[in-house]
Amino acid sequence: MDFLSTPLLVTVILGSVGLAIPIIDSLKKERGSNNKLYCGISVGAILLIIGIIIFRIISGEQIPTIEFGKGMLADDMFGSFFAISLLIVSIMVTASSWNFMKNKSNPAAYYSLILISSIGMILIAYSTDLVMLFVSWELMSIPTYALAAFSKRDPISNEAAIKYFLFGALSSAILVLAIGLVYGITGTTNIGQAIISMVNLQQDLVPISLFALALFIAGFGFKMGLVPFHMWLPDAYEGAPTTIGALLAAGTKKAGFAAAIRVIILAIFVLHLEWSMTLAIIAIFTMTLGNLGALIQKSVPRILAYSSIAQAGYIMIGLALAPYNDQALAGSLFHIINHAVMKAAAFIAVAAVALTLTSYSIEKYRGLAKRMPLTAIALSISLLALAGVPPLNGFWSKLVLFSVAINTGPEVWWGPYLAIAGVLNSALSLGYYAWIMRKMYMEDSPDTSKVKEPRAIVAVLIFAMIFMVGFGIWHAPILQFATNSVPNLSQLTAILPSIPLK
Amino acid sequence: MNQLIDFVLVSVVLFSIGIYGLVVKRNAIRMIFSIEIIANAANLNLIAFARNIHNVQGQVFALFSIAIAAAEVAVALGIIIIAYRLYKEIDVHEFRSLKG
Repeated sequence: MDFLSTPLLVTVILGSVGLAIPIIDSLKKERGSNNKLYCGISVGAILLIIGIIIFRIISGEQIPTIEFGKGMLADDMFGSFFAISLLIVSIMVTASSWNFMKNKSNPAAYYSLILISSIGMILIAYSTDLVMLFVSWELMSIPTYALAAFSKRDPISNEAAIKYFLFGALSSAILVLAIGLVYGITGTTNIGQAIISMVNLQQDLVPISLFALALFIAGFGFKMGLVPFHMWLPDAYEGAPTTIGALLAAGTKKAGFAAAIRVIILAIFVLHLEWSMTLAIIAIFTMTLGNLGALIQKSVPRILAYSSIAQAGYIMIGLALAPYNDQALAGSLFHIINHAVMKAAAFIAVAAVALTLTSYSIEKYRGLAKRMPLTAIALSISLLALAGVPPLNGFWSKLVLFSVAINTGPEVWWGPYLAIAGVLNSALSLGYYAWIMRKMYMEDSPDTSKVKEPRAIVAVLIFAMIFMVGFGIWHAPILQFATNSVPNLSQLTAILPSIPLK
Repeated sequence: MNQLIDFVLVSVVLFSIGIYGLVVKRNAIRMIFSIEIIANAANLNLIAFARNIHNVQGQVFALFSIAIAAAEVAVALGIIIIAYRLYKEIDVHEFRSLKG
C-alpha cells in the first residue's frame, strides 16, 4: 500500500495528534485545564486532513469508487465522501467543545478520544475487507463508550454509557458471527471476493448466507438506529454529554451507513433481490416509529434522538431501492452528508442552551429567541432543514430520495409507497419541530434577561447555517459529489451476469 | 468430535447461553459475561471454519477479535466501577432515570 494514500494519511496524522495530546498533558508541570490548547490542536489536525482530501478530489488524484478492492483499504471516492462528512461533524464537535469542556476535567483525554474515534469512522468507509471493517468498527465504538460516560459525577451520563455499551458490544459480537459465517462459506474475508464466490454458492449453503446477511443487518442496524434495534438510542443520545450526542447522532450513525453500503447492498445484489423489500419495510417502520416517539417527549435532546431514528428511515429508502435505480444510493449519500450537518448543528445548539441555562427541558426553551437570538435562529434553521422545508439542504436530499422512490414504480410495486410514507412522515415530523420553534419564538419566559452566548459554539452554528442555507439554494455541487462517489452498480452487474437485474 | 458440525453446534449452544444471559440476568457484570460468551461463540465458529477450509485468515481474525473484546471489556468495567460509586449497586434495574 502506498504510504501517501488518504486512509493512511488520516490514520497517521489524526492518530499521532490524538496520542500526542495526552502525552503533552502528562508532561506539563503546571496544573490547570489546557482545554483551549488541545482544542486548537485537534481542530488544526482535522482541518489539515479536510484540506488534503478536498485537494485530492479537486486535483483529480482520487480514483473513482471501486467495489472490489484487493487489499484491506481502497483509497476511493466513496471513502473520501464519508471522510469529508464525518470530519465536518468532528470539527463541529471539537470546536464547540472549546466552550463545552471549559472548567471540566480531563480535556486531553476527551479530544484524544474524539480524534481516535474519527479515525475509526473514516477507515470504515475506506475498508474493502471484513477484518479491516470490524477493526475500524471497534476503533470507532470503544472511544465513544468512554466519551458517553465522560461526565463522571453525572449518573445520567453513566447510565447512558452502560446502555450504549451493552447494545454496542452485542452488535459487535453479532458482527463477528456474521463475518465468521461469510468466511466459512466463501473462504475469504475480502468483501469483493466473498461476493463473487457467493454468486456460485452451492444451493444448500444459501440459507447460511441469508442468515449471515440478516446478522449483518442486525449488527449494523444497532449503530444506525433501525427500528427493531433502536431502543438504546434515545437514552444514549440524551444522557451522553450533548456534544458527544452530536458525535453519536451525526458521526457513528453515518459510519454505520458506510459499512452497510459496503456490505449489505452488494450482498443483496448477490443473494436475492426480494431482500431489498425487507429493507423497505424496515425503512417505513423506522421513520414512522421515530416520528411518533418524538411527539411525546419533553426533553429536547431526546426529541432530536427520535428524529435521528426517523432520518435513518429516510436514508434507508435509498438503500432499499439501490438495486432498481442508479440515483437511489446518490440520494442516500446526499441525505447522509446533509443530515450529518443538520443534526450536529441542532445538538450543538442544544449544547449551548444546556451550557448557559443548565437544562434540557423544553419548557426552558420558552422565549429563547429573545434570550439567545443566534442559538435560536440556528436551532430553528436546522430543525426546518431536518423537516425538509425548502430552500434548505434537507429539502433537496429528500426530494431526490422520494422522486427515486416514485420513479421505480414500474419495476417494484412497493417503490411509490416508500415515497408516500416519507412525505407523510415529513409532515408528521413538523409537529414536533414546529413545537420547539413555537416555544422559542411565540412564548415568553418568566426570565427575559439576555444570556451571553458561548462564542465558539456561535461560530460553529454560523458555519452550519451557511452550509444549510448555502447548499439549500445551490445544491448542485454536493449532489454531484454524492453521485460521483456512489459505487458503480452497473459495473457490478457486468461482473455478475447471472443476476436478474431489472 | 472432529467434524465441523460439532464445533458449530457447540458454538450455537454458547450463543444461546449468551442470549439467555443477556435477556434474563440484570447484573451488569453478568451481562458483560453474556456478551463475551456470544463473542467467543463467534470466535469458535471462525476457528472451526479456518480449520475446515485450511486457510489461516479466520484464525488471524479470531485473534483480532479476542484482543478487541478485551479492550471493550476494559472500558465497560471502568464504566461499571463508576456506576458502583454513584449508585452503590450494579443492578441495571436501578438505572432508570432515562425513559420514555
